[in-house]
Amino acid sequence: MDRQEYLRSQKEDKGRKVCGVFPAQYPKEILWALNLAPAEIWDPPVSPELAAGHLQPYICSVVRQGLELLLQGKAGVCDAFLFPHTCDSIQNLASVVNDYIGLDKPCHFFYHPKAPHGAAAKVYYQEQLKALARGLEPLAGPLREDELKRRVAQGQRVAELYGQLYGQRAAGRLACSNAGFYQAARRGEYLFPDDLVPYLEGFLQGAQGTAPAGPRVLLSGVLPNPPEILTLLDDLGATVAADDLLACSRRLLIPPSAANDPWQALTEQYFAMPPCSSKGSPFSERLDFILGQCHKSGATGVIFYLVKFCEPELFDVPILTEELKKRGLPCLTLDVELNQGLSGQMSTRVEAFLEMINS
Amino acid sequence: MNGEAPMSLANKLQFQFMKDLGAPALMALNQAGKKKRAHKPNPDFGPPLKSAKRLKEIMSRHYFLARYARGARPVAWVTSGAPVELLRAFGFYTIYPENHGALCGAQKMGTKLCQAAEEHGYHPDLCSYARIDLGHHFTGLTPAGRLPKPDLLFASNNICQTVLYWYKALAHYWNVPFLLFDTPYNFRDITDSDISFMSAQLREMIPALERVSGQKFSMERFQEVVNLAHDTSALWGQVLATMSHRPAPMTIFDAFVHLAPVVSLRGLPVSQAYYQLLLAELQERVSKGIGAVTNENKRLMWDNIAIWYKVRDYAELFASKGMNFVAATYTNAWAETIHNLDPAQPFESMAKAYGLVILNNNLNHRLNLMEQMIKDYQVDGLVIHSARSCKPYSVGQYDMKRLLMERLNVPSVVIEADITDSRHYSEEQAQVRLEAFFEALES
Repeated sequence: MDRQEYLRSQKEDKGRKVCGVFPAQYPKEILWALNLAPAEIWDPPVSPELAAGHLQPYICSVVRQGLELLLQGKAGVCDAFLFPHTCDSIQNLASVVNDYIGLDKPCHFFYHPKAPHGAAAKVYYQEQLKALARGLEPLAGPLREDELKRRVAQGQRVAELYGQLYGQRAAGRLACSNAGFYQAARRGEYLFPDDLVPYLEGFLQGAQGTAPAGPRVLLSGVLPNPPEILTLLDDLGATVAADDLLACSRRLLIPPSAANDPWQALTEQYFAMPPCSSKGSPFSERLDFILGQCHKSGATGVIFYLVKFCEPELFDVPILTEELKKRGLPCLTLDVELNQGLSGQMSTRVEAFLEMINS
Repeated sequence: MNGEAPMSLANKLQFQFMKDLGAPALMALNQAGKKKRAHKPNPDFGPPLKSAKRLKEIMSRHYFLARYARGARPVAWVTSGAPVELLRAFGFYTIYPENHGALCGAQKMGTKLCQAAEEHGYHPDLCSYARIDLGHHFTGLTPAGRLPKPDLLFASNNICQTVLYWYKALAHYWNVPFLLFDTPYNFRDITDSDISFMSAQLREMIPALERVSGQKFSMERFQEVVNLAHDTSALWGQVLATMSHRPAPMTIFDAFVHLAPVVSLRGLPVSQAYYQLLLAELQERVSKGIGAVTNENKRLMWDNIAIWYKVRDYAELFASKGMNFVAATYTNAWAETIHNLDPAQPFESMAKAYGLVILNNNLNHRLNLMEQMIKDYQVDGLVIHSARSCKPYSVGQYDMKRLLMERLNVPSVVIEADITDSRHYSEEQAQVRLEAFFEALES
């Protein structure tokens, strides 16, 4: 069942409303507890037609494609939209959609504090969680505390499964292609947890085996799109052994909280998530995370796979590259536009990079 | 060990000497040099502002003394929207990289410094203020002689998230503490929770500021600074309001330059005194009917930061057509919300004042503000600078243009450019668009 069919079935068969969610960090457990199905909008495959009338050419394709989806009326399945505060462009996109476009669907917003975090940030984050829940209640409420608790536990189970998936891959015990891995991992962008948990369990069971013996790399950036990078690496016998992708490990590898109170648990989990440029995490934390992932997975090179015009990522890359190289990890940086494939020149650069780290 | 400079008596004495004797001597030398160069007056402009001389003295002195500040005073590098009043209470000497970036842009050094940052891996698509600043870090080049290295970096993301990424990089290179004043974006109205969060952050910063400055926090001193900043910003608001008169006594291109003290020296007596002087001069010009543009027949508004390397060219071009810019969302930013400052509740009122600035507010707020300014300043047309460097200012401008035309029938033009990196400016494209705009204004 493809994504559109699945979301339609959520509405028709399960009586759930669907909330389109723009990147990146948001408390999906609150939506689940309200019986709202989140459908994340990262890289919809729509051709550019209408967004150019609203956005300058120097805005990233995550924002452009997302707006294009709305303008072309292809997000009709969504009953509402949620915009987390990820960067300047998504912030203003949210305001363009809410204030200027005249969309007939409610828009919700979620602000998460930026680092360096003091004590006030934790208090505020929890207040934001509750404000979001209150804001969504007219659409799908009321929110029951016991249901939230159940969904937080389910979220921890999802995180545990992702942890196993990443752990197996890092240990070389996953016999699946790079493309297959991310196809599975990214199901979490729209599957309801009742379906996501059995899906991930099944995938883990079915993919056990031995990884190819070729070069192992860590993929960093926003998301694995254009997906041609994955098939290219597959064709070259290379494995993405770990990642530092905003859409993936930075949101999926969540250490569980032991707190009994669900709001407290969600708060603790947010602040324990892997470091991220969009949160303003210090370089030392990002370096430690990347180095730790490389160490665990045996990755011997880092590919920064960057969406063109993505400021949070572009600002971090020079220092990360410099520091990683100092520590003996070669880096390759590629600037891409979503859904536009890889140029021949980029493919050649990837091939040369793999040869270098394998030599 | 971090990169903070220890204070020393020798540095303090040197700083004081330069303040009392060196800076005045430099000013006198500058003046002597100035007398030898006479400029031919441009008939499209009214008489130049006399206050400009004092402004130049103030800013030159500020940058001159900056060279001697390290080790004599705690030095902080600060973003333009940050609540500097808190730092003033600890005696910080403040440097504004955005102001320095504008200076580099106006003196056409922007591209060179951007390229220096690019050579170190910073992408040409990144904010050019940030690239200039990083370029300065790598090369030491500056039209200001020398900038003191900071003991502290202080940013607020009420103007953009970019400052967070940029200052984080500076903190890494210089190994100095970085404080962020995190201002939740107002997708809708500001809430009590937002205000509590922001005021709590300011209180949380005090121990770090005490440690870096070596001074204890004084509430009394802080309240004095808040009061001074409030009055200075109110004066700046009155300065801008003089442009609602016909003819306007100054142009927005003047205001781009004269806003330097309210941005960089807010909370200091020199800034307040300067705007008293400027306001008196402008009021006199209003009473005598002296306009900044000789034959003001069209009144325009500017949206976004200036195109710093084109300020003079644009001023002359528009003046030659009898067009005067009388309002700008950018210059208004330092007058719009500071009335919220209240010395009786300094933390909470600062949270409001800084959390409500134009770029931290939703686009509906900006549209309503622009509508009001168009009415108040009797604006005939709008020039929108789509600044590649500044996404929070630029994303939404295309819709804003359309909506203002629908609501108020105000013609406008979008100029695709950049604030300081002239490589992103096409003279031909701008000329074509401006000619069409001039025709629309005349029709």
